[in-house]
Amino acid sequence: MTKNYRRRLSDIFSFAGFGLPALVIWASVVLVPFIYGIWITFTDWNGLAMQINYVGIKNYIDVFSDATFITSFLKTVIYAFFTVVASNLIGFLLALAVTSGIKGQNFFRTGFFTPNIIGGIILGYIWNFIFSYALTSFGKSIGVDWMSTSWLTNPTRALIALIIVSAWQLSGYLMVIYIAGLTSVPRELIEAAYVDGATGFDVIKNVKLPLIKNSTAICIFLSISRTFMSFDMNLSLTAGGPYKSTELIAYKIYQTAFTSMEFGKGQAQAIVLFVIVAIISLLQVYFTRKGVDEQ
Amino acid sequence: MKKKLLSMVLGMSMVMTALAGCGVQNADSFESKADTQPAETSDAAETETQAAPESAGPVEDVDISFYTTETGKDQMFQDIIAEFERLNPNITVEYIAAGDDQLQQWMALYASNEGPTVSLMDPINIWENQERMLELTNEPVIANIEENALSTMTFDGKIYAVPQTAAGVGILYNKEVCDKAVGGDFDPSTIKTRSDLEDLFKKIEATGVDATCFTGVNWSLGSHWLCQAYGGAIGSTQDRVDYVNSIIEGKTKEIDNDVFNGYMDTFDMMAKYNHNAADPLVGDVNIDAQALAAGECGTWFMGDWAWTFLGPIVSEGQEFGLLPVPHSDDPSDVLNQSIATSYAKGYCIDKSQNTEAQQAAGLKFIEFITSDTYALEQMVKVTGQALPYKNCQVEIESPLGLSTANYIAKGLTYDFYGTPNLAPSDIWYECGAYMCEYLAGQTDRKTLASKLDEYWSHQEKR
Repeated sequence: MTKNYRRRLSDIFSFAGFGLPALVIWASVVLVPFIYGIWITFTDWNGLAMQINYVGIKNYIDVFSDATFITSFLKTVIYAFFTVVASNLIGFLLALAVTSGIKGQNFFRTGFFTPNIIGGIILGYIWNFIFSYALTSFGKSIGVDWMSTSWLTNPTRALIALIIVSAWQLSGYLMVIYIAGLTSVPRELIEAAYVDGATGFDVIKNVKLPLIKNSTAICIFLSISRTFMSFDMNLSLTAGGPYKSTELIAYKIYQTAFTSMEFGKGQAQAIVLFVIVAIISLLQVYFTRKGVDEQ
Repeated sequence: MKKKLLSMVLGMSMVMTALAGCGVQNADSFESKADTQPAETSDAAETETQAAPESAGPVEDVDISFYTTETGKDQMFQDIIAEFERLNPNITVEYIAAGDDQLQQWMALYASNEGPTVSLMDPINIWENQERMLELTNEPVIANIEENALSTMTFDGKIYAVPQTAAGVGILYNKEVCDKAVGGDFDPSTIKTRSDLEDLFKKIEATGVDATCFTGVNWSLGSHWLCQAYGGAIGSTQDRVDYVNSIIEGKTKEIDNDVFNGYMDTFDMMAKYNHNAADPLVGDVNIDAQALAAGECGTWFMGDWAWTFLGPIVSEGQEFGLLPVPHSDDPSDVLNQSIATSYAKGYCIDKSQNTEAQQAAGLKFIEFITSDTYALEQMVKVTGQALPYKNCQVEIESPLGLSTANYIAKGLTYDFYGTPNLAPSDIWYECGAYMCEYLAGQTDRKTLASKLDEYWSHQEKR
């Protein structure tokens, strides 16, 4: 047995021990379902039938000729844009606040992060009550008309409500990443900037922000992918209503597959969503990296 | 050396785990489970079930599952299951209640090869999944079911499910409010036309109470209100199927149909007096039930199942009943005085992922839940609805259920759908959204009708 052969054998065993389990799990829960999902897109399976027929690319043609799918996608883009901007802005400002050395900053960090560990479904139901009943009762008691009716029964206000709650939930999560970035900014650089006469805003703009570009890239990437695939909040807060006006793309896919029992078409919609999110994410990563490299 | 040993141990354990996983998959498959059951046992179990449904059980222990889409009645079903298990110690029933989406969970159970032995589902879902279902046509359990309750559970002459309760759809009324409005004893049979109903509403409004209430949710408006337009007023079951097919083919437009327009005229009239008019889509069944019970509104479009919400909050002595939904101003139209009854859910048995012994135990469970005195008492007490079982002697306590039973006794009912597959499974969601939009005043009837035509154009012929 040569030394090389023994080393190769040792490498194989090491991989089998440490790498293969993870690979098998990943393949089982991601790769295999993904390939299976692609296969389903070429069938007319309704999710229950024992007989499955091939329909070629009919499901993809249906997806692109379905005006409601395009509408849902555009609504998702609007929702994603405002949620990404708001959550990143709030997350960054919160991170600035809780790294400024204020009293009880650890308590605030925990408090702002808490919405993330509650879960979208529960948060959605809580906010549903707030928008439908708590705010309306308050509005009626002070005699303000626009607050006297539920936010969730008007298409525009329902979408705004969805953005507000999503941004509120997401900003605490992003805050933690921004905190990690801000605490790694060298103290001496900040002090030097102040010595040179920089204002607090100048320090944020010219010292902190450029030095946390990696954190910003991660936050934007995470928020984009999360918002494009937002489902739980959509389900529990608005359930796509009023009259399907807040039916985001993931919720639309769910309804197609499980309510209309068009599993093949729903899966085709999911593949289209995957491609769109992948392209957006890759572009975002490319441009962010380019920015970091040029720095 | 130690590292090598560790990696070998990890590698071996990983491979073994993976193989064990594959082994479990095979063991769980239907074929394997079927093979492990001796044919004699299955046959014996089936024979015993047919001979003595309440006393004897299968020879071997059998685990079955019961999936219910009837929400808010968990305790009732668990009590019934406990009694069933007490009488049948060999059978264990796993209770699975649907969440917000009944189909999603059902599909997930089938996808994981754990299709429920007994499922309580909508007829359309059973129809769509009939190849997996055990045919019950010649089973003794059917002999106890009233014949007129079986139409929506029968596909091509074969019975695939046992109906649960007779649900009456209509306009609920608070008798105290109506008595005050008419200045005496309110008689629901005086409401024979749309104009009669509006007169009543005007009188109720005159007493300072909102006349009626719509719960602005897609299932109530889409599945219940809208589907009346494809129901009895169209004609016989075949007429309804022909009508729906003509819309699917584009030969008929909803806007040209008198029945559709009749129901929408009534809808418009009721919307004028809606308790929730200021914010029509803030639909909440519990809050609307409270409004009716508290006398904040005199009537409410819903169904007799609403007793689940009303029962716990009404005061002693309060009386409630059910009014038909008039679709025209013709007092001689008997449909204006009849309520739509629907056998909206049925018990079915899976044969694709359950062994013969499990199917036999499932059948035994259905026989129990549809004929045992304790089970019937629980069902009537909690649902407050009439049961279509010949041996059922339990008196209905719910005034709404009694109201439905009275209409049935007078012959003033008609089958809501007539066939299991007249309305597609997603009509409540898709068309419910259009109806909500209409109720909110965001679209006119012509646009609503064209959206409905568009929806139907994507459906397969019935």
